[in-house]
Amino acid sequence: MAGVLGAFREVDCTIAAIEAVKRGRLGDMTVFSPAPDPEIAAAIDAPESVVRRFTLIGGLCGLTFGYWIAIWVSKYWSLVVGGKAIASWIPYTIIGFELMVLIGGLSTVAGLFIHARLPKITVAGYDPRFSEAEYGVYVECAPERARDVAAVLRTSGAVEVRDER
Amino acid sequence: MATMAPPTPPRVPKPAPNIPRAGLRLPAVRDYAQVDREVTAVLHPTLAWFGALSVAVTCLGIGIFAWMYQIYAGMGVAGYRPPVMWGVYVVSFVFWVGIGHAGTLISAILYLFRAGFRTTIYRVSEVMTVFAVMTAGLFPILHLGRPWKFFWLIPYPNWRYIWPNFKSPLVWDVFAILTYLTISSTFLYIGLIPDIAVLRDRETNPIRKAVFGALALGWRNSDREWRHFARAYLFLAALATPLVLSVHSVVSFDFAMALEPGWHTTIFPPYFVAGAIFSGIGMVFTIVIPLRRYFGLRHYITLNDLDAAAKLCLFTSLLVGCAYLSEFYVAWYSGNPVEQQYFWNRVFGNWWWAAWIMLLCNMILPLSLFSQKLRRNTIWLWILSLFINLGMWFERFVIVVPSLSHDYEPWRWSSYAPTWVDYAILIGSFGWFFMWFLLFVKQLPILAITEVKEIVPAPRRAPGGSH
Repeated sequence: MAGVLGAFREVDCTIAAIEAVKRGRLGDMTVFSPAPDPEIAAAIDAPESVVRRFTLIGGLCGLTFGYWIAIWVSKYWSLVVGGKAIASWIPYTIIGFELMVLIGGLSTVAGLFIHARLPKITVAGYDPRFSEAEYGVYVECAPERARDVAAVLRTSGAVEVRDER
Repeated sequence: MATMAPPTPPRVPKPAPNIPRAGLRLPAVRDYAQVDREVTAVLHPTLAWFGALSVAVTCLGIGIFAWMYQIYAGMGVAGYRPPVMWGVYVVSFVFWVGIGHAGTLISAILYLFRAGFRTTIYRVSEVMTVFAVMTAGLFPILHLGRPWKFFWLIPYPNWRYIWPNFKSPLVWDVFAILTYLTISSTFLYIGLIPDIAVLRDRETNPIRKAVFGALALGWRNSDREWRHFARAYLFLAALATPLVLSVHSVVSFDFAMALEPGWHTTIFPPYFVAGAIFSGIGMVFTIVIPLRRYFGLRHYITLNDLDAAAKLCLFTSLLVGCAYLSEFYVAWYSGNPVEQQYFWNRVFGNWWWAAWIMLLCNMILPLSLFSQKLRRNTIWLWILSLFINLGMWFERFVIVVPSLSHDYEPWRWSSYAPTWVDYAILIGSFGWFFMWFLLFVKQLPILAITEVKEIVPAPRRAPGGSH
């Protein structure tokens, strides 16, 4: 969707812009920063990431699969040693643990990619300056509200404001 | 008449590089643009870099030649004679796995503990981890008579209807090492994505820009990306932490599950983990100290960071020393004459020189780190790190060779001498490791740009209100 982008040189100006946009309910907002900033995160007040669910589910699947394959293989191709269990859960805990970490880790990455929407082909509203030293606030809004949004961003201290249509 | 002079304003000391203060960890780093500029400046190849790469590739070539000769002539050229069927290859395998442990310790465990000194050295450690584990993984394959059959250890449906034995420590090794390699590579790559985006945005060469663009996956530093990134990174660190502890425990099971004297002991898992972290930190010093000097990064990797890492090195050295002494004590207290004989032979028998190199390098010399002056002396730290690398290689030698050459049956006692093939492949492994490392150094940032920016004060409006 189209919107207005404001570039800021200072973190406090960026926070002021975020609060002003939220106060005025001017539209959905994306904030760009060269590094993660706790003050910006607090100002945005976004819900907690759900990536942790991917970790949990992936880890449990890996653990189950690890035990299952070790037990199934032992039954399928039995190595019979007198007095010893064919499927022994203690050594299989190593396989279960390693696969829990492996699948849990890869699921976490999958969760990150899905929720952060990576990989991304188009990067609307982004300016290379935001990976270096400047901050950006991109507000999605209808064309008729663009002027109000631009005014709010300028008042908050934006060094550049432009329409992204 | 008395006059009242206004009090003299307190003198504010000028920030000195290399001496962090509370609230200001990198005094000589003023802003984000400086971080980008100085870290990316490292990426341009120099003549010295080409020279170092040539040396590494030559060493690798020597190793490849020796391996080809071994495949042609058979495993006998590697100096194996019963009962010593594990030699330099297994020693080097354990050595490189150990080197690979400090990276995840520094990047994951210290991240969970919020240890500030990790920020500037963790990228180097992570890279070291990935390449060290890649190197370690070669040795079990080199050790196979028919190395092209290595994939038989991986469980997959096959026409032979044969599956690996999941009760075997060698199969545990396959799972542990492959998991560790996958997770540590993933951890490294995920941490690199925002930094690659910085390179993408600064790059002018269209081909490199396209490559960085593909690797950055369209990362654009948005709040949504940072939010999920922070959570994913935290959980990867949380998963990597027990993995570090498990991997070297599993490697220690290769020995502890056997009944050889000197191997069959419950102290091995913690002893191996502590040794691995100790050797890894030693290698971090070996690499980081020349890097910070050669690339002019002394105001990023400060003396305080090295001092803190040296304390960790000292702590792990004390743990390792405690494990060495515990082994002797347990052998004495057990009343088992075979164990007692074995440990006597280890320090006063035919392997005395290897055991004393180990004790000197890993237990005695690191005690110098109790001195703050020596902890902050980079030349001493670097020299000590070389001794630690040497000592930790010999620690594994002392574990592997004396046990096999001096087991229960006196008629089987024998000796072992590595051949030129062993040495050539060992040299080749260093060439392989440093070749990858040097290639990384000139393509991707060795300091975590984003995390360094996090500890640099964010730009704020001047008190007057203008910007």
